[in-house]
Amino acid sequence: MDTAATSLSVEIGGYRVAADIGGTFTDIACLSPTGQLVTRKVPSTPDDYARAIIGALDSLGADLGITGDSFDEVLHASTVATNAILEGKGARTALITTRGFRDVLELRRIRVPRLYEPLYEKPAPLVPRRLRFELTERLDATGSVLTPLDLAEIEALAEQIAGLDIEAVAICFLHAHINPQHEQAVADILRKRLQNCFISVSHEVLPEIREYERTSTTVANAYIGPAVATYLRSLAERLKEREITGRLLMMQSSGGTLDIESVIAKPATVVESGPAAGVVGAAHLGARAGYPDIITFDMGGTTAKAALIEKGQVLSTDEYEVGGGISLSSRLVKGGGYALKLPVIDVSEVGAGGGSIVRVDAAGALKVGPHSAGAVPGPVCYDAGGTEPTVTDANVVLGYLNPDALAGGAVPINSAASRAVFERQVADALGCGMHDAAFGVHRLANIAMMRAVKAVSTYRGRDPRDFTLFAFGGNGGIHAVALARELQMKRIVVPPAAGVFSAVGLLFANFEVSRSAAFLKRAGLDTFSAMISTFEKLQKDVVAELADAGAKLTWKADLRYAGQAFELPVEVPHGLDAEATLKVIRERFEEEHVRTYGHALTDVPISFVTLRVVGAIAPPQTGSLALDAAPTPGTGSVRPVYFGSEQGLFDTPVVARADLQDTPRPGPFIIEEYEGTTVVPPDASAWRDRYDNIVIEFLTSEVAA
Amino acid sequence: MTNPLDPILLEVLKNGFEAIADEMALILMRTAHSPIVRDAMDYSTALCDAEGQTIAQGLTTPMHLGSFYDAMRHLSVQYAGNIHPGDVFVANDPYLASGQHLPDIYVIEPIFSGERLCGWATTIAHHADIGGLVPGSNSIGATEIHQEGLRLPFLKLVDRGTENAMLMEIVAANVRVPDQVIGDLRAQMAAARAGRRGLEALLSRYGADTVARYADALQDYAETLARQAISEIADGTYRFVDHIDGLGENPEPIELHLTLTIAGSEITADWTGTARQVKGGINAPLSFCKSNVYAALRSIMPGDVPNCHGYTRPIHVTAPAGTLVNAIYPAPCGARGITGYRIIDCIFGALAEALPERVSADGTGGSTLPSFGGTHEGRRFVFSECVMGTWGATSTHDGQSGVPHMGSNQSNVPIEMIEADYPIRIERYGFVADTGGAGTFRGGVGLERQYRILSDDTYFGVRSDKCSHPPHGLFGGETGKPSSNVVNPGAGERILPSLPVLPVTLEKDDVYRHIMAGGGGYGDPLLRDPRRVLDDVIDGLVTTRQAREAYGVVIAEDGSIPAIDPNATETLRATMSSARRTMN
Repeated sequence: MDTAATSLSVEIGGYRVAADIGGTFTDIACLSPTGQLVTRKVPSTPDDYARAIIGALDSLGADLGITGDSFDEVLHASTVATNAILEGKGARTALITTRGFRDVLELRRIRVPRLYEPLYEKPAPLVPRRLRFELTERLDATGSVLTPLDLAEIEALAEQIAGLDIEAVAICFLHAHINPQHEQAVADILRKRLQNCFISVSHEVLPEIREYERTSTTVANAYIGPAVATYLRSLAERLKEREITGRLLMMQSSGGTLDIESVIAKPATVVESGPAAGVVGAAHLGARAGYPDIITFDMGGTTAKAALIEKGQVLSTDEYEVGGGISLSSRLVKGGGYALKLPVIDVSEVGAGGGSIVRVDAAGALKVGPHSAGAVPGPVCYDAGGTEPTVTDANVVLGYLNPDALAGGAVPINSAASRAVFERQVADALGCGMHDAAFGVHRLANIAMMRAVKAVSTYRGRDPRDFTLFAFGGNGGIHAVALARELQMKRIVVPPAAGVFSAVGLLFANFEVSRSAAFLKRAGLDTFSAMISTFEKLQKDVVAELADAGAKLTWKADLRYAGQAFELPVEVPHGLDAEATLKVIRERFEEEHVRTYGHALTDVPISFVTLRVVGAIAPPQTGSLALDAAPTPGTGSVRPVYFGSEQGLFDTPVVARADLQDTPRPGPFIIEEYEGTTVVPPDASAWRDRYDNIVIEFLTSEVAA
Repeated sequence: MTNPLDPILLEVLKNGFEAIADEMALILMRTAHSPIVRDAMDYSTALCDAEGQTIAQGLTTPMHLGSFYDAMRHLSVQYAGNIHPGDVFVANDPYLASGQHLPDIYVIEPIFSGERLCGWATTIAHHADIGGLVPGSNSIGATEIHQEGLRLPFLKLVDRGTENAMLMEIVAANVRVPDQVIGDLRAQMAAARAGRRGLEALLSRYGADTVARYADALQDYAETLARQAISEIADGTYRFVDHIDGLGENPEPIELHLTLTIAGSEITADWTGTARQVKGGINAPLSFCKSNVYAALRSIMPGDVPNCHGYTRPIHVTAPAGTLVNAIYPAPCGARGITGYRIIDCIFGALAEALPERVSADGTGGSTLPSFGGTHEGRRFVFSECVMGTWGATSTHDGQSGVPHMGSNQSNVPIEMIEADYPIRIERYGFVADTGGAGTFRGGVGLERQYRILSDDTYFGVRSDKCSHPPHGLFGGETGKPSSNVVNPGAGERILPSLPVLPVTLEKDDVYRHIMAGGGGYGDPLLRDPRRVLDDVIDGLVTTRQAREAYGVVIAEDGSIPAIDPNATETLRATMSSARRTMN
């Protein structure tokens, strides 16, 4: 299926460094040419995110004794694009539509994300009505011109927009995914006339059917365009000042990296940059260590995320809304955010993290989340003003977290405060002991996170029991084993540097370019040559942009049964004859349909919707990772830890990752590291594989309820 | 069974049930074939216990969701002793199966643990067509249910694993678009199968006794929360009268009378005084009436009350048989959705006095449902969609524009999908200025959708409302602008009533324009912040004339940017309010 074997045309011999910029912390991972991995976690600098990266690179360089020019590649993931939307701080954007349709953006798909809420308010459109303009023009569904453009009208509109202090313009005409000529003509005029404006055109951003989704994606792209460009150019400039001249790449939501000029041209592709990095890293490290089928579990302070990797391949979706709030049902109940219909790694997210607040409701039921104590004031045990019990406090009460300090001693913990608040606010209300109350909270957090896992597995016809749970994030190792037990999953892997794993993941991402085109035709011999020529045209564009003959090129088609409205992606073989190709397409589509929905319609024709070519270049191969482990003061001690009423309270030793051998050590014990804690309960054992992963399995195949 | 309930396990199973119902909903949408199911999402899924009580709902259509219980009782009684693993049941008839209306088909699969019946995976979907008088099977002009299409009592679509091919053929032969109908039935079967597998996993993990016990506990828990919410409303009797515009070309208004009585933790909705059932397809069976009452009252309860049968226990519905809201055989009900919307609106209307900050002023009264059918290039087509919608304003914000009615959380159909598949072109889709009812907070802005027909001899029908009884405001807020249905607007235009009874035939290049009613306003318009009025003017939602006449805000347009004339505004508002005092 590949036109060429995977190889890298440019040898990179130096250091590669990755930075994952989050709202609170910037995580850094640096890989030496010999495979030595160094990590850093530094506070983010939201007023100027680049500052944290530059500072960390300076200190890394000093520690490693290398100069800026030793960094051959700087990779990064950032929430800069998402934040512009979430905070409503994007560009002042105008929208140009077909006459009669300026409200498509605001009308959305009508549906609201919550039932039974008469006081619900829709999110405000990213472009207010006063900045949405209509032009006389109309195509029909085949792309034929019904009403031609009026040049004088376009010129007048350009003039008007020039006087409105506009920073970005989105253009979306009906049926432009079939015939882009009208959009192209308007874009040409505006690009000439409004040279300081970011121009976003629907057939370039998302050449796919459905006007609301295409308009919304094009608008979001425009809205974040100037902010992303400014940020990336400034980062590049400042790296250059430090003589860091290696290429600067950014993670796309789809899981591939891209050079920053391409990102600047289509910034909507990087909105889910951060979550993608961890999943890509898991896919890579998992496959290498012999775990090709993985469900990732990334638990931080406010949310937990899950994604599915099958045979080493990450599963993607294009039904995504940015700013839609945290909801598992987001695929079903849309309308809470801004539709962004671009390939995104299918990450499901729930509002359960270490900071999730615990309460007992009016009918005596225990509730965990969705409110979070956040980083400030944080859990009660941080002694920073938090007064409401949280999941982290429960983990302190249970003994899972070090009772004195976290992060190798850097974050002091007041465990007495956690115990007191649990006694007072939870145990009394439930009429049970403090330990059981805390264990209940721990378990409910797991239940919430279970839904995130189910959304990427059972909802798509996958049985979680066939997968390994790959846990990372600050709290991943604390909850992973209990979560796996709930889901009857048999194996848990906690990778090295789990607390900064998204940064590590960046180091393993492919450089990736993709191009897609609408192709609304039935699959058949009569459409075969049109399909091939569309793929070939897309491939030509991809190859031109990659400028690398060694790239791996994949053809993909989004397909559905004629009459359905939702597609399933299938890889299309190239090089076979028409009949064989169509046979493979049908087989793969039906296999996926059966797996996802439980049935196939063997007598119904299949329709293409979108054709896509992805070109990927793998990063330089790295040998085994060697992590410089920071010392952790708690190891070697023993503390009482509660594992629920069935297993009970145990005096539990605390060990370091390096203390684990390649043969299983039975639980209970706790592994403390600088970046996080892993809990191994009495019914499980753990060992360390040759890639330094902690591998945990249950002692018996009979999993306790 | 004496050991106490584990509150943690209760939450565990509640989440488990909800995840199953959502998964069913997702699978149904993604495998459906008709625009009304796959794009507009007019369908519902639920997981029920062995007795047929809902234990979890998919996030789908509230007006369906409360009706499962009656249908499940019907099925359980009819098939007692004859329910087996591998069965799948199907039904649609309001009278033979406690159904809703003929286009809404139930597909239901029992769930077993060994030999023991433990629950039901239930789905209902609005099918594109079920035969009868008109394409889309929602004729306003039907006078009895026999004209509305294929009637299905509860039948086994699959009997112990063997599909009833004959039944499939009967369905296919009786509908105008068999590919869509059979495709959607298969989507429902796939969803039911997923629901069964999901509950089977819980049953094997926790055991049938535990699952049953905790499902019961979940019902009790929902009931407890519901009673708490009802107790917080002041006891008393609250009344409301609402209207449907009426049938046909010279409509007589059809009245709904509601007396809502709150006594402690119980609430009774009494529909005595409501019009008799009518000779037109808008009659509501009792199960549908109850479902809408439940949905409306659920929405004034806190968000975390589980959406299961238990929350309905403190709610009682009385409706005299033979009325619009408790229709009896052979009343036609194809277009009964409109009555459901009005039932919900009545509840909110009655509650406005008791809960002025929890309800909004009146909105568009549900989706408008245009249907088109005919033959184009040798193929039969039926296209119907749901056009929505606006809400009235509330005590804190303007009414929402471009939203579904609370009773049916549906979507629009993408214009590009319509034009690719049907001989229809959409010419306009957007807001219409000055339609939102004036108020301190403005009602949602009405919208228009304009269709051009590209095929000769096209049947057209529409179910709409709120032309002669536009959405009311609250606490001094004004009524929204009425709706309209016009064929070939302009010279020689033809104005259609809200609910045309006589068939309308459209020819190639005929145009149909629907304008939805604007939402009602909330509070005195003269108290609206003039800057908000100015914003509306700049956004083209309110004209300067309406700003002046309805809000007393004078907008100066001599500059390039509209601006408030503060002095003129103050003077005008003073004059308007003193004129009001004089009138009173």
